[in-house]
Parts: sequence; structure tokens; C-alpha cells
Amino acid sequence: MPAETGFQEFRVEEYIVKKEPFYIPLTDEIDIFQASYRQKVPILLKGPTGTGKTRFVEYMAWRLGQPLTVIKSKSKSQQSDADGHVSGAIPLVTVACHEDMTASDLIGRYLLDINGTRWIDGPLTRAVKAGGICYLDEVVEARKDTTVIIHPLTDHRRILTVDKLGQVLEAAPGFLLVVSYNPGYQNALKDLKHSTRQRFVALEFDFPTGEREAKIIAHEAGVDAETATLLAKLGEKIRNLREHGLDEGASTRVLIYAGRLIKEGIPPRRACQVSVTWGITDDAHVQRSIDEVVSSIFP
Amino acid sequence: MTSSQTPRHQTVQQVETELGKFPAPVVERFRRAHAQLEGRLAQETIVEWADEGLDIARKTVRSWEAAAEFFDASPSVQKQLPSGQFLRWARTGAALCADSPSLAVAYFKASPTAMVRLRPRYIDDWATVCRSLYRGTWKSSALACRVFESTPILLETVSFEEFCRFGAFLEALSRRSYDLAGECLTASLDLFKKVGSDVDAFVGLATAITEASWRDVKGLYEIGGPALADTAQPHRAALIALARRLVAAGQTEVAPVLKDGSMAVIRVPMDLRDHMMQMADALARLAPATASEFLKTAPSVLERVTFPQLREWHAAGAELARENSEAGISYFRLESARSGEVLDALSSSIELTRVKDILRMYCRALAGRDVEVQASQQLVDKNIGWVEGDTPTTEGTTIFLPGVVNKFTSKQENFGWFKVISTHQVGHIEFGSFDFDFDRPSTLFKDIRPKLPRGKSGASAGAVAEKQKGGEKNQENAGGVETAFLTDMSRFFDLFPEHKLALDIFTVLEDSRLDARIFHEYRGIAPVYASTQQRSLSERPRIEETPAREALLEFMVRISLGQKKDLIAPKDHVETARTLRRLMRRVAVPGSTVEDASEATIRAYALLSEVKNDELDEDEFESVDEGEQSEQPEDEGKEQFDEDQIVQQFMQGMQPGEQEEDKEGEQEEGEGEGYESPQEVDYRGEFKPELGQLLSQMQMGEGEGEGEGDGSQQITPEMLKEMMKNAAELDPKQSDQAKQQQMQEMLDNLMKELARREPHNQQFSQGPLVHVDEDGGPLDPTGPDTFVYDEWDFRANEYKPRWCLVHEKPMADGEVTFYRETLSNYSSLVRQIRKQFELVVPEQYRKVKRLEDGEEFDLDAAIEAMTDLRSGSTPSEKLFWRRNKTERSVAVAFLLDMSASTAEAIDDAKRGSDDWGAPDDPVEYMVWLRSRRAEGLRRAYKRIVDVEKEGIVLLVNALETLGDTYGIFGFSGYGRENVEFYVIKDMKEKFSQDIARRIDRIAPLHATRMGPAIRHAAAKLAETDTKAKFLFLISDGRPQDRGYSREGVEKEYAVHDTRMALVETKQQGITPFCLTVDKAGHDYLKTMMEDFSYEVLSDITLLPQRLPQLYKRLTMQR
Repeated sequence: MPAETGFQEFRVEEYIVKKEPFYIPLTDEIDIFQASYRQKVPILLKGPTGTGKTRFVEYMAWRLGQPLTVIKSKSKSQQSDADGHVSGAIPLVTVACHEDMTASDLIGRYLLDINGTRWIDGPLTRAVKAGGICYLDEVVEARKDTTVIIHPLTDHRRILTVDKLGQVLEAAPGFLLVVSYNPGYQNALKDLKHSTRQRFVALEFDFPTGEREAKIIAHEAGVDAETATLLAKLGEKIRNLREHGLDEGASTRVLIYAGRLIKEGIPPRRACQVSVTWGITDDAHVQRSIDEVVSSIFP
Repeated sequence: MTSSQTPRHQTVQQVETELGKFPAPVVERFRRAHAQLEGRLAQETIVEWADEGLDIARKTVRSWEAAAEFFDASPSVQKQLPSGQFLRWARTGAALCADSPSLAVAYFKASPTAMVRLRPRYIDDWATVCRSLYRGTWKSSALACRVFESTPILLETVSFEEFCRFGAFLEALSRRSYDLAGECLTASLDLFKKVGSDVDAFVGLATAITEASWRDVKGLYEIGGPALADTAQPHRAALIALARRLVAAGQTEVAPVLKDGSMAVIRVPMDLRDHMMQMADALARLAPATASEFLKTAPSVLERVTFPQLREWHAAGAELARENSEAGISYFRLESARSGEVLDALSSSIELTRVKDILRMYCRALAGRDVEVQASQQLVDKNIGWVEGDTPTTEGTTIFLPGVVNKFTSKQENFGWFKVISTHQVGHIEFGSFDFDFDRPSTLFKDIRPKLPRGKSGASAGAVAEKQKGGEKNQENAGGVETAFLTDMSRFFDLFPEHKLALDIFTVLEDSRLDARIFHEYRGIAPVYASTQQRSLSERPRIEETPAREALLEFMVRISLGQKKDLIAPKDHVETARTLRRLMRRVAVPGSTVEDASEATIRAYALLSEVKNDELDEDEFESVDEGEQSEQPEDEGKEQFDEDQIVQQFMQGMQPGEQEEDKEGEQEEGEGEGYESPQEVDYRGEFKPELGQLLSQMQMGEGEGEGEGDGSQQITPEMLKEMMKNAAELDPKQSDQAKQQQMQEMLDNLMKELARREPHNQQFSQGPLVHVDEDGGPLDPTGPDTFVYDEWDFRANEYKPRWCLVHEKPMADGEVTFYRETLSNYSSLVRQIRKQFELVVPEQYRKVKRLEDGEEFDLDAAIEAMTDLRSGSTPSEKLFWRRNKTERSVAVAFLLDMSASTAEAIDDAKRGSDDWGAPDDPVEYMVWLRSRRAEGLRRAYKRIVDVEKEGIVLLVNALETLGDTYGIFGFSGYGRENVEFYVIKDMKEKFSQDIARRIDRIAPLHATRMGPAIRHAAAKLAETDTKAKFLFLISDGRPQDRGYSREGVEKEYAVHDTRMALVETKQQGITPFCLTVDKAGHDYLKTMMEDFSYEVLSDITLLPQRLPQLYKRLTMQR
């Protein structure tokens, strides 16, 4: 591992979340996720961008990988095997879906090498084999024929057909399919088919409110509580404009970005302008309105 | 010198004898005159005089009349003239007589008074001037005579030289028209008096105009004259000079210039008038026509900009006018874009219209509700209780702001002001001023509210109400059941005997609470806000000059504005003041609620109602500043009011039958009369808690209303009246009768307003209360182009089978011009839309794999082929991929609302409750509709339907680029058996000029029964075999039809049926979308379109632009 250059390399199915991700639950989503995981019921996360869907999955992958009782001092030596893998840890395979994604992109394909062809498993196949969580982000973006291949994985069968190899894979016990989806209203062509969506337990995500969001911002951006509160307030105010000129409100993510810039010494109003205002809209009028809100909140 | 040819007579007697030959008056008058002159003149002079008279009499047949006048005038003329001149006067008259005896008559008649002002040496000239007008005709003689007659009056104000010039002018004019000259003469008599020293200039102007274009003199006198008369001295001359310059430049129609100029001078501040005239003059030199335009607009421009800025604006315009006078004219008319730009760049004032959108979004962001922003004047125009047209206010759902802000010298500061006042008004909404709940506990106080006696509204509702309303009514109320209050706010104010005082206290406390919240929540705006407070503080009246009670209120206002030092209060009430201050501090903390403000109001009221509103001397005031020892240790929370005592106090105040009755009545009258509310704080504007709560509760609808206890009860006009009677915030300062009338008007308007806001409350509409089902049963198609559909009855929760009959009709052909004109009017938009749509086309290129030929190898296919090769089987030859156009498979049906209401003009102020004025009776209803339609046709301005049509034209044009299947349909109708469904373009029809012609014929017709129309359009869509199907509904308001909404009482019926129709379309795989321009649409749309997409256009004129955008967004993958 070339540690000096600062990056780490993992095989897809070996990537595990080692450090506890910061996550503040909205309601009982942790319990539900845990229950679903135990019962092997796939999960659909709904909600606008930047509401913490991905973070939640990361958090759950970490959390489920933790032993039920943690024995503090011994934990490290007991849980790590020879390869440095944490035993019981659950791999997290994340796939960002896009329009041109094909079934092969998920399942796997042959690659050419000197000796001819070599089969390489796609991320989904790897997750199925490794018994990890496979997270298909923005699943609506994927073509409909692609989404169909996940169907047998999501019901009682829990199988994946790899037709090129003529194989059927039965998912390892730890495998769970999690998909996320942003019900962008007004675009009828990008809706999830019912045959697909009714295979999941759905968890709705929305922006955290007030204090909770402030806490998140304070933690993620490393700003003081006061700035975080103001940023959270800004977020709340901007979200009031949803459907009145804004398609989506300011995500917690952009607020965190603003917070980070502020922490670096950028004046708050400017930081909000570049990370929030200009980020969420191109409409000059709306930008101006949001700037006014910013300047009312930030000194 | 002698003008007579006859031999001289030696004696008077001889002459007398001679005169005897003439008609009797001659000799009679001669004798009378002779008697008077005898002794005043030498005998020989008298003889000469008599002789002249005889000479005159002999001149012509009718000249004896002149002689008689001559004798008549002689005594008084003689008094003013030396004898030589006297005779000369006589001879001049005689000469005139030779020309025309009438002239001579006039001359002699006018002489006695004229001589008072006329120097003797000018007599001849005078006669000559007048004589010059005479040209032997009757008209000329009449005119000349009138000039003689008028001379004395004229000479009162003008010098003889001026008179001569005036005469010359009349002479010149009379060559063209005697009548006009006569008119001018008449007008001059009055005008010259008013114009004074500028007569000469005026006459000069008139003469110049006469020479150039004599007809314009008429206008000069009729319009210019009065205008000049209204203009004060130095500028009058300047105006005339300006007009002179224009005439010289060939612009002879100066009347409008004078008029506009005079108006301008009056409207512009004194010190700027000179400069303005100079500017106009400068323009007149460059391009004469621009000067008058400048004068016309300058005053209004000056309202927006400072004078130096006006100068710049003027200079820029002058530059333009130098090159092109036409451009200059439109510049100064404020019609050119450049003019607006220059002005805007210069002006520091901000018009609400320019920042409305920004402020609306700002307010919405802060409030978290669908807040609207409008000009205050619009609220005043509604006449529902607000009277100030330029103060900020709110009624809980809309923020009303002044139309223009020009308080400061920079745009930034003016915008800052807009922002501060909106923030404060939004504060009322955001921090819940109108969410007041009587029963909700406060957070900072021990609640007294529930313990207080209920003021039996009316019986002792304060001296003010009592006085104005007379006794009987109150007794009625007192005797009756407990009054039901419309709002919790009313219930609260009813606790107080003196509503006005309570309202004032509450206003201060609530405003101060809001400001504290704003400071806490919005630190960014705090500096601006604080300086605004500071400025308001500097405009407050001096406390020393107010009577005791008012002083204490002023004291509170000042604290609320952040004043900390130099506070004073009446000596006798220093403790009260301190207590009040502590009370205010207690409320002005973050987190306090409106209920806290109300509790504080009760406590402050208890203190203040004890204070008599006595006039005080300055030395009766004392500083209430906190000393070194300060009151800090006495922690705010510890301030204790004796609740029981306050309750006790209120009990007493409420009992009219106490022994103090007489005294109290007197006192209250004295105090009530004398007590004046504190001066309004400018940035806080008007605050009307009761009305605000009433109106905002209505708007919020059922959701919030239910929390208010028995919120389900309906509002009756009587209840409203009761509330208005008692509300202190409605206090028109007028006599009883006028007040009554105004109250009634206000009441009517308020009922209408409430009806508009809360359509479910049937009390408001005049319709019957019971649902009347439409008669008859299921219908059958009556012809090939008729179709029947079910209708959803939400109360029964089932369909009424075959309930509606849709008549499908082809739209008649109109002119193709509408189509063409729209395209050319919007040519830039058309290009833009086309471009956008064309960009979509490449977006549709998808990667197609496994082709025999293509851009590149398909990796998967290649590998497969390799594998196959190695394994010995025949590989596929389809190894390539290519981007290929996938077939776009979209069908869309546009459904246009052609109801009568689309005939409404696009006019903000007019939109609104009109629809509700529809009569119930079907016959009347038709008449009403027809009249509305006729109105619509006659009008030249744009109607909603026109904008709908334009939108369709643009879209059709763009759709042709895309090649989508689409149909355009219009619907209207009357009653369930007559739903008209017009086909403008059927789904399968190809676009042609015929379609363009049909679009032209789209016009407002009858009612809006949406359900069947949607079902029919859906049926048409279902026939197409595209993959994606859309139904695009464009409407201007809620569904409405006979038996569908009006008589069928619940307007919900229509809403629910429409919703069900939309659900049906969805079930058929069609995606519905609704675009509406009904601003008040959010309420029912939420029900109707739940789960469906819709958009409410805030500005209807955006429709043509927005429609293609929406279409693109809806049907295309991004």
C-alpha cells in the first residue's frame, strides 16, 4: 500500500466503513433498517438530494458490522483477522446509477487480456458474493431494463442470474440491496416502476430541522454552534421557497460546504453566496432573493 | 386746426337754436352740459365747444347721437383736461364721427373714465389705435367700439404703450377674424388683470402667433391664458418667453406648453422652478417640441430623483434631442427605453414593482408561507378597514408595502428600507401575531386572561362605542346570549373598557416583541434595523409636550425603539414608567409569544388606565434613567404584579352600576376624548390585529381553524358588524352618519373579501344553503359527435352514471393574422424556444449497440466475438455501436379553459371576486355571461384568453420541431347536458393554416365544467399509441358550472369531480398537468391536484414564455 501518497485502495467488495460515520437519526430509521437487514428486506431511500441518504447507508453498514457487545480494550485484536479485515464487518458497495448503465455494468463482463478473455464480476455480483450491502444510488437514473435484473434479488429468491456465465448466484447471508431515489416531481418519465418500487421497504428522508441540522453542520463543517445555527436557519428559510421558484431547497450538504468555507475565513455572506445561492439556482431573481435572506441572517 | 367747414357761430344761443333742429335729446343734453360748463370755461371756449358739438351733429344723418354723447361726456372730460386739450378732444371725436358716428359714440362714451388714466397727449393716438380697427364694415365698427369701451378697464392694468401694441395685435388679428379678435378682447380684460406686468410679453406672443398661424391664438387665450394667470410672477415671464421661442421655431400651438409649464411650475418646489424653466428653454433652442414634453414629465421625474439628477437626465435627453428630435420627444415623454434606463440609473428611489418579486420570495422564505407582496394602495382600495395608502401593513397573508420608496439618497438605502419594513411585517406572520389564542398560556406570565370578567361586548364596551351607538342596541346585546367572538383577538380586546388604549398598548408591546425577535433571529439585518429605529426615534414627538397618559405611551414607544438614555416621564408617574419599562423588557426576549404580549398588555393597561391624561408643564417631567445603582439587581423575572388586584380593577371597570358611575362617565369622556394614540412608527406601519386575525384565519382554511375551539361556526354579517363596531382599529374619524355609511360599505367589502378567501363558508355567497341536485337522470348521446361521461359525486362517494353530455364541435375558422402576429411579436422568444427544443433532439440520441456498422467497436460484443472465435463457433458480426435517434413517442392533449372569466382583462387590481357576482337564476346568468363576453370583445386590451392563445401559438410552433403528436381542445358549456368541446386540432390532424385560423377563434364562452372535458380529452389521448401521454390543462380558475358549483353549493363538488377525472387519466397511463393563472388558486388546487403536478403562474403575461418551458420539462428526460 503506497501509504505515502495518501490514498487507499480497496477491492470493491472489501471496502468497509471502519470509522463510525457521523449520523443523527431523524426518527426510527435505524431500527427499521436493522430490522429489515435481519429480515433481508431490501430498502428504498426516498428524499431530496443532500438529506443524508448516502450517509445513512454508510452509517448502517458500519453499525451493522459492529458486534453486539463491544469489548473495548480487546476489540481490535479480536475483530481483525490476518488480512486486517474486520471480521463481521459488512462491505458496502456503492453504485451511482446513470442513464447508460447496462446490466453488464452491474453484473460483470469479460475483459480481454493477453491470454484471451477474463470474466470480471460487476459490483452487484461482488456484493452478492461477499454478503455486503449494495447501494444503488439514484436508481431512477438507470434504464428500466437494468433495474429489472435486481428483481430476483429483492424477493424471497435472493438470486442473481449471470447469464453470460450461465450461473445463478444465491446471495450470501449478509447481502442487502439498498436503493435511493429522489422523487423529482414534475418529471413523469423518471418515475420508478411500481413493479420495482413495491419490492422495497421505503424510508423517507427530508431535511433535518433546526437544531439537528445545526448539530450536523457544526460537526461536519467544524464551525461553532452559532454559525451552524445560522446556517441551519438559512437552510430552513430557503426551503420555504420550494415550489415557489426553487425546485429543491438548499441541501444540508451545501450548508456544510458554506460552513467549511466560513471556517476557512471566507466572509459568511460570500461563503453562502458561492456555496448555497449560486449552487441551487441560476435564476437571477431567485438568487437575489436568497442573497437578501442571507444578508438578513448573516451579519 | 378747425375741422368744421361751416361758419363759426358767435353765441351759444345761436348754436342752441341750430341744435334744436336735431332730435330732442341733443339740445337737452347740450343744455345740461352747458349749465355745468358755464363758469368753468371762458365764454369763447364754450362757444367753440358748442360749435364743435353742432359740427358733430351735422356730420351725417346719424351723427346727432354722437353729438348727444359728446355733450353728455363733456362736463366730466372737461374736469380732467385743460381747455386746449378739451377742444382737441372734441375735434378728434368729430373726426371720428366723420368716419363712423358709432365710433364717435363709443369714443365719447368711454372718454370720461378713460381720461382718468389717459394722458391728454395720447388722446389722438388712442383714437387712432381704435380707429385703425375700423374698416367700414359693421363688424369692424363693432370691434372698434368695443375697444373704445374697454379702454378704461384695460388702462387700469396696462400702460398706454402696451395698449397700443394690444391694439395693433387686435388689428392684425381682426384682418383674419373679427370674431376671434372680439373674443380675445373680452378674454384680455380679465386676463390682463391677472397677468399684470407680463401683458406686454403676452401681447408680443399673441402677435407673433397671429403672424404665424392666427388660429392658434384661440388656444392661447382659452388654455394658455388661464394657465398663465395661475402661474406666479418670474416664471410666467419665463413661460411666455419659452412660448415665444417655440413660435419663432415654428411651433405655434403653444397652449399645451403653457398649460403643462404652469402645472410644472406649481408642482415643482419653489427654488427649483427657475432652473427648470431654464432647462426647458435650453431644450426649446435645441428641439422645440421636446420642451413641452419635458415640462410635462419633469415634476413626476423630480419625485423620483433629486434635482442634480434631473439635470443629468435632462442633459442626456438634450443630447439625444440634438441629434434626433423625434427621439428626444419620446425620451422626454418617458416612452423610450433609454430614458427609463438613465432615470433608473440616476434615481435612488425604488419602485415596488421592480423589487416585488425579490421581496415576495424574501418574505416567503422568512415566513414559510405563501405570502404575497402588494402595494398598500391595493389594500386601501378594497376598503375593508385600511386607510393609509403608503404605510406598510399586513393582513396575515399579504405584505402590503408603499409603492415607491424615496427616503434616502441611495438605491441601496432605499432597498434597505423596503427590506426592513418587509421584515417587520413578515415578523407578524412569522412570529405569529395573528395566531393569538385566547386560551393558550403565555410563557412568561401567570395568566390573568381567563380570570378576567368577559366584557359583555357593547354594554360597557367603552365610552367611545357607547357614545356613538346609542343605548338600545347595547341593551339588546347585553340581554342576549354571550356574544360569540369572530376572533380570539376580538375576545381579548373585549376585556378592556377602553379598546383604543388597549390596542395602542398591545401594538407597542407586540411590535417591540417582534423587533426583539428579529434582532435575535436575523443578525444580518440588525445594523440596518437598528439605524432605522434610531431614525424613527429622532422623529418622535417630544414627551414633554404630551399629556400624562400619552407621555407614558410615548415613553413605551421610545423604549421599544431602543432608546436607553435621556428618557423622561411625568414626575407623578415615574414609578409607573419604571414598571412599564421592566414589563417591556420582559416581553422583548427571544422566544416570547403573542400571548406574552397580551398578558403584558393587561398589566400595562391596569397601570395606564389609572393615569389621567392631564396636560403637564415641562417641569413636571423627570428623568427615568437608570442611575448607577440601576434596577438590574431587581431581576426582571421578579417583577410581581398582584394578579388579584388587577382582576379586581377590571371587575370594577366593567361594572357600570357602581357608585362612581357619574364621576367615571364624566372622567372617561374627558379622558377618552383627550387621549390620542401615539404617532405611528413609520417602519412598523399599521397593525390591525383583529382584522388581520380574521382574514388570515380565513385564508389558512380549515387546517388551522379547527384549533380555535368552535372554529366551525360560520361568520354572519351581524357578527362582523359587531366586531367592527367594537374594534378600536377601525376608527374613522367622522360624524355618526358618515361613519355609519362608511361602516356599511366596509362591511360589505369585508364580506366579499372573506367570501373570496373562504369559499366553503356559504354564508357569504348569496346562494341557497341546501344542495340542489340537478334534475333528471342519465343522459344518452344525441348524435354522432356527442359523448356521455360519468360524474363523480364526492358526497355519495360514487359516480353518477352517464351524467354529462359532451358535444364535440370543430372550431370555426378565423383569421390567420393572429397566428402570424403572435409569432412576429414574440419573434425573439420564438427563436429561443425553437433553439431549446432543437437542443432536445440530440439529447435523444442513445447509444445503440450490436450493429453491423457504427461509430466504434462495442467492447462487450467484441469480447463475445473473440470468445466465440476461440471456442470455435461463428461470431456475430454485430460488433458496433452507434448513437441513434430513438423514436420519441409522446402524445399530448392541450385542454384550454374557454370560460367566460377568461375574458377578464389582465389587470392586477381588477382580478378577484368578480366571479362571485354571477346571478343564480339561469336566465340572468346567461345575460350576465353574455354581457361579460360582449365586454370582452369590445375591449382592446389583452384578456386572459388572449394570453392563453399566444402561449398555444408559440407552443404549436415549437412542437412542430419536435414532431410530437398533439391535439388542442377548448372547452366550455353550460350545464351538464351541454358541455362544449371544441376541437382546434385533433390528435391525428397535421398542422396547417386551418389550425392557425382556428386558434384565432378561441374566445371566452360560458362556464367551466372541467370533469367531462378532461374525460373526453383523455379518451382522445387513449386512442393514440404513443408511449407517453400527457394532458395539459390550462385554466384561469376553479371549475364552475350550473349544478356543478353554484347551485350545487359545495364548490368542492366541482373540485372533487375534476380531481377524480384527473385520477382516471392517470389510471389510463396519462400524466396530467395543470397550469393555472388563478392567483388565489393554491387553496383548491392543493385538493384538486394532490399528487399531480401543477403550476400557478404568478404573472399571467409570463404564460407564453412559460408554457413551452413547462412542456419541455414535463415531457423530456433531462
